[in-house]
Amino acid sequence: MNSLSSRLLVSVSVLLLFFFGATTAVLDRAFTEAGEQARQDILDGHLVGLLAAAEPDETGRLVMPERLREPRLERIGSGLYAEMRAVDGTVLWRSRSALGFEIPAGASLDLGEHRFTRETLADGTPLLTLSLAVDWELDNGASQPYVFKVAETLDGFNAQVAGFRRQLFGWFAAVALTMVLAFSMLLRGLLKPLRQIETEITEIEEGDRASLSGQFPTELKGVARNLNLLIDSERARSDRYRYTLDNLAHSLKTPLAAMRALLNDREGGDFSRRYNEQIDRMDEIVRYQLRKPAASADQLVLVPVPVEKEVARLIDGLRKVYRDKQPEFDVRIEKGMQFRGDTGDFLELAGNLLDNACKWCARRVRIAIVPSSGRSAAASGMVLTVADDGPGIPQEAADALLQRGMRLDESTPGHGIGLAVVKDIARSYGGQLVIQQAADLGGAEIIVSIPPVSAG
Amino acid sequence: MRLLVIEDDATLRESLSRKLIESGFAVEQAADGKEGLYFASEYPVDLAIIDLGLPEVSGLDIIKQVRADGHSYPILILTARDRWEDKVDGLSAGADDYVVKPFHFEEVSARVNALLRRSGGWASSVLTAGPVTLDMSRQDVRVNAEPIDLTSFEYKIMEYLMVRAGQVISKAELTDRLYDQDFERDSNVIEVFIGRLRKKLDPDNSIKPIETLRGRGYRFALERNQVD
Repeated sequence: MNSLSSRLLVSVSVLLLFFFGATTAVLDRAFTEAGEQARQDILDGHLVGLLAAAEPDETGRLVMPERLREPRLERIGSGLYAEMRAVDGTVLWRSRSALGFEIPAGASLDLGEHRFTRETLADGTPLLTLSLAVDWELDNGASQPYVFKVAETLDGFNAQVAGFRRQLFGWFAAVALTMVLAFSMLLRGLLKPLRQIETEITEIEEGDRASLSGQFPTELKGVARNLNLLIDSERARSDRYRYTLDNLAHSLKTPLAAMRALLNDREGGDFSRRYNEQIDRMDEIVRYQLRKPAASADQLVLVPVPVEKEVARLIDGLRKVYRDKQPEFDVRIEKGMQFRGDTGDFLELAGNLLDNACKWCARRVRIAIVPSSGRSAAASGMVLTVADDGPGIPQEAADALLQRGMRLDESTPGHGIGLAVVKDIARSYGGQLVIQQAADLGGAEIIVSIPPVSAG
Repeated sequence: MRLLVIEDDATLRESLSRKLIESGFAVEQAADGKEGLYFASEYPVDLAIIDLGLPEVSGLDIIKQVRADGHSYPILILTARDRWEDKVDGLSAGADDYVVKPFHFEEVSARVNALLRRSGGWASSVLTAGPVTLDMSRQDVRVNAEPIDLTSFEYKIMEYLMVRAGQVISKAELTDRLYDQDFERDSNVIEVFIGRLRKKLDPDNSIKPIETLRGRGYRFALERNQVD
């Protein structure tokens, strides 16, 4: 029930059911009432016919003619019956059609009363009856009360009503079903832009798209525009952060460098040495703080970094820096591998690890980047492994770095700041760092695992 | 050797230049990107030290321009921006190495020497040709393992010639690269120094390390022992 379309569909279905239910009930009632009225009118007609046919005989008693004009009263079991009773209920006459039936007498009537009732025959057939109590005035002025009654079975009528109901339900059900179907199709069409927004946001998250396309209906244009603004401001914020850091780095470190130069000019012995130590400390703090991760896994927009290209750039650079050593690079990168995050952060990860490896290796450096847990290369986490054939990192130093975290004044010489930065970045992307001995090369092997960006 | 230092911070630039001059380099200074780019393109330069964060024209643009113009001298980046992103940008633009601020002068000096040596085609900082060995990091010259006592200027000429072993170096180039501009430009001085150098290296005239090519200049003539 969490989707808009199912909510709409259910509400519309309920509404349709209610509407059609009410309509059906009203129509049914109208049809039945009209039908019953028609029946009553017919019965009334028959009763009038009976009264017209009745004649007093010579003894002054009313008698019915041998044959009546209404053929249904003459046919046995036709469903239309008539009788004439005395006031005490004695049957004086009964139509031929009622041969073998006993028409229920019903409640007694007052003179002149004209009453419709529903009764049932002995076999359960429902009847609509019309009774009339009349005071028949004879020629001699005397009068005699009689009760005339006509009855018609309702079998036919009920069947007609049932047929009408079947038809009514059938048609309404068909119409309702068609409407629900049509509505759900309409909904698909209407909700298509929403689905498109969803798709485009996913594409932005995966970095395949810079902003929402803007090809949306008027009602969604505002949402799309605001989302784009949000994305832009997020990007701007991240850029501004980087820019500020850059400026801070430059404006702090150049004076530090100048201070050091001035000190060295003085050749101040112990004073100069102690000052230099303080400058080193300040430098380390600045370096460490300024190289903190720029992005993190929970950032709104992560642009995928083409890992292969960036590593190639790094290795080209490092070949220059370590030209004397000429390390042999063994690069194993899964085709199309991407890192979902900040390019600078990726370069920090790979750059620090490769730089350390080049520094410590005898000759060989291996870098491998594969997707985590065998997913496809495009939308997965990343496992970055850098190994060398150098002396490796002592277990205590590795443990200290991983457990205690970075203590600036106790950093592992040569590996310290670089690894601390790598650890920080890995952590900010929800990943982790493992330091071990490379089985093949024998030196340090550092494994950084970054989990996939969690969807949605 | 003539170095170009492009750095906008005056204290840092002057101090670095002074130290480089003390180490025996001729140094050209530029305080902003525009001036730096002019020097880098128009002056004879053996190596440039370029700060990345310069006013007017960025260090990165200078490097790109210098490389686009076909200059191949080594470039050392000074950068306050410590992130790999910046280092990689600099290196792929055409720089050869980087030093992160704040640096120790020794770090810069070591890298400058390494870059100069490499640009001369030597893979190690100990240059060996026949019986002659020159250790750039210790500024120490030996013949047949015997230390030779050289004045600082003699050493500079020796280093310049030996780093470019096999190339002909004119007197004008030697004066240009070894002296600062205000120095007396008298080519006789060079001749005198070369003469003294020959006497110290090769007193019995048996190995003949330095050739004179009449009207063209000098050449360090011994075969390099190093492969690379």
